[in-house]
Amino acid sequence: MHKRPNHIEDALIVLHSKQWFTWTDSKNKIYANLRLTEKVGVNGELVDNTVTELPTESAVNAKLKELQDAWDAANG
Amino acid sequence: MALSKIDVANMLTGATPVANGGTALTSGFANGVTMADQWSLTSSFTTGAVPIASNLEQDDDPSFDPLGSSMTQSSGIFTFPSTGFYYVTFSISTEASTLAADIFFPIIQVTINNSDYDDTAYGIASQTNISSGHGQQSTINALVDVTNTTNVKVRFSIDGASSNVQFNGDSGRRKTYMTFIRLGDT
Repeated sequence: MHKRPNHIEDALIVLHSKQWFTWTDSKNKIYANLRLTEKVGVNGELVDNTVTELPTESAVNAKLKELQDAWDAANG
Repeated sequence: MALSKIDVANMLTGATPVANGGTALTSGFANGVTMADQWSLTSSFTTGAVPIASNLEQDDDPSFDPLGSSMTQSSGIFTFPSTGFYYVTFSISTEASTLAADIFFPIIQVTINNSDYDDTAYGIASQTNISSGHGQQSTINALVDVTNTTNVKVRFSIDGASSNVQFNGDSGRRKTYMTFIRLGDT
């Protein structure tokens, strides 16, 4: 990432691949508004999202902290 | 006194031909572009999406107000508001989620039977494993002859990417986005 991770979406996109999550309000991307998508596009078809459970808020925050620590270590 | 020049424009209604000193256009560009719309990806993701099926919204930036009737979208499939000849662009913003080389393909896919999609425009993009080469914007475009709004539809895909590649979405700024301009009648 070219900038320091500073939002939970930075963590979400590395927890799983593809379009596995969405927001009830894209202007207010907080954990409470996080939802799973029902379908993802694979090979031209819409298939069931293989991610069936949202990560906990603490798990998301822990991943964000991990990314920030890694970024800080790499960028001084 | 010989009459050397007649002001033809003041004697005609409608377009004045170029040969008579006109522009061949009707006044006020009444026959110009009547529809222009833009949509964006609102959230980022890694790996490809064939098609991009969620997290799409019509741009609501203060500087943008769709011209004419808007596109409609469901599960990533866009329906045109009317028949016509359309210019469609797909611009993707990417960066490395992991600093590793990768190649991926932005695609504009069109169906003419509301079922089977053809790769109408197939781009290629890449990232390198060096820090200076891991972010970019890639844009492809297509001309689509929409003869029937029920059967001719468009969707957008990114194929071939690994989890090393992050496709940027944002609900406040255009990063990965689609543009639709109706150029004229079919």
